[in-house]
Amino acid sequence: MGKEQARILIVDDDPIIRRFVGTLLAHNGYEVHEAEDGEAGLRMAASLLPRLVVLDLVMPYKDGFEVINGLKDDPSTRRVPILILSVKDREEDVVKALNLGADDYMIKPFSTQELLARIRKILERTAPGGTGCTTS
Amino acid sequence: MHDLLIRLIAGTGALLGGLALLIAFNKALREMREALDRRRRALLEPAIYEYANATGHRAILDYLPKPLSRRDRRLAEAALLDAARVVKGESRDRITAAFEALGSVRVSILHLRSQRWWKRAEAAERLGLMRSRAAAEPLVAAMNDPMGEVRIRAARALGIIRGTTSIRPLVLALTDPSRWSAIRVAEILIGTGTEAVDELLAAYDSLPHLARISALDVLGRIRSLKAAGLIRKALKDPHPDIRARAANALGHVGDPGFAADLTEALRDPEWPVRAMAAKALGRVGGQGAIAALCEALKDRQWWVRANAAEALRLVGPAGRDALIRMLDADDTYARHQAVAQLEEGRIIDEYLADLASADPARREAAIGFVEKIIRLERVDHLTQQAIDHAQEGVRLALLKILQRPA
Repeated sequence: MGKEQARILIVDDDPIIRRFVGTLLAHNGYEVHEAEDGEAGLRMAASLLPRLVVLDLVMPYKDGFEVINGLKDDPSTRRVPILILSVKDREEDVVKALNLGADDYMIKPFSTQELLARIRKILERTAPGGTGCTTS
Repeated sequence: MHDLLIRLIAGTGALLGGLALLIAFNKALREMREALDRRRRALLEPAIYEYANATGHRAILDYLPKPLSRRDRRLAEAALLDAARVVKGESRDRITAAFEALGSVRVSILHLRSQRWWKRAEAAERLGLMRSRAAAEPLVAAMNDPMGEVRIRAARALGIIRGTTSIRPLVLALTDPSRWSAIRVAEILIGTGTEAVDELLAAYDSLPHLARISALDVLGRIRSLKAAGLIRKALKDPHPDIRARAANALGHVGDPGFAADLTEALRDPEWPVRAMAAKALGRVGGQGAIAALCEALKDRQWWVRANAAEALRLVGPAGRDALIRMLDADDTYARHQAVAQLEEGRIIDEYLADLASADPARREAAIGFVEKIIRLERVDHLTQQAIDHAQEGVRLALLKILQRPA
């Protein structure tokens, strides 16, 4: 079981971000799933049990903060790490997201190399023993 | 006559029907073309994004189908423009290289010379997203475009491209405020950050009067300590408006080491300089700032007094204490400004709350403070609070003090 097979869920209403980050992660050996809004994200997280959720904050229906709460409220997804990828760059948003339980925060536009490095670090930190699943 | 009318109606109906059919056909054709484009783009995107995320030396053309059709080139450019908005760093540089390799930069540069102004404006904006340094010179030329929209988009693009080639013309654009807005150019320069400082410092002496004012504003807002020497020198400029902007800029840079320069500027013969110096001193703080601002409360010009009082309020607890002390000043102006700022900073309200305190010492201090405000004949706020205050104890105590004979 290596980090390359880790399952990652991208929750973002912007199809460009989903496809761009999806390609990046798939190219780096991760199994990628996409959700286009918060509600779908929560549903998919509960059924897929990903090793990591890459989450946008500004989304229709359920925003990113609500999704963090939803993930933390559900015992099956409580331990799934969350990396926020958002245009929101205000200190209060960053602090709020981290206080709610996000594990890391990146602001758009983002560096792909930095995103990969942060994902790698989160996955290392939360490796075996957690509830995350891998496909191998 | 009747027949003619029927024929006319039938003819008009047929014409309108034909037109509606044509419009519907065109719409269907456009939607079909868009659907095909979307499908084609979805096929191209993985390769394009793989290129953007790669670290090797393979060019974009190696990732795309060969020979590259005009349609694929257009769709690849659209996908790259979308990606350019969301990434930075190495991927962003690779996207710029892709625009150059696909010929998109060259085409957009050509469009800068289009007969249609909107096409020129669009090209300028696209070149900004493409970030190719090859576009810097043509964009500089576009800053002389007869259409304002093209000029401002060219300026914005140069601000994004950055680098000496791009920033120098923006600095020079500050010299022509009659032709376009120096404020907007200044904002773009502020956005480029510290990269603009060297160019502004180098150009400053050759800039005309109004452009120097804008340059000082930009240097202040960028908050570069590197510019401190020039700004300090500008504080001695023969023109009072330059001195005023220099004082303002020092306040924005915000180093407490400027307190001495600004204290000296508080003695400037021109009141706008003194007013700006007072405001700036409130921002930088530093040794002697409180005493200098208290002195400025006695200035003969209202703006200087108002700025000094506001600065004291914003400078922190020491400033607040100074404002309270100024209630006993000999100068009427100073006392009135102190009351206004104590009211604005809700410090008067804090004392009012103490009127109902269980602690006799606090209650006595509050009564003494309120009596002092009444003696200064600034009772509007107190009278209002005697009616509106949430605590009945405060309302009654305040009413009692207000009704006492003077």
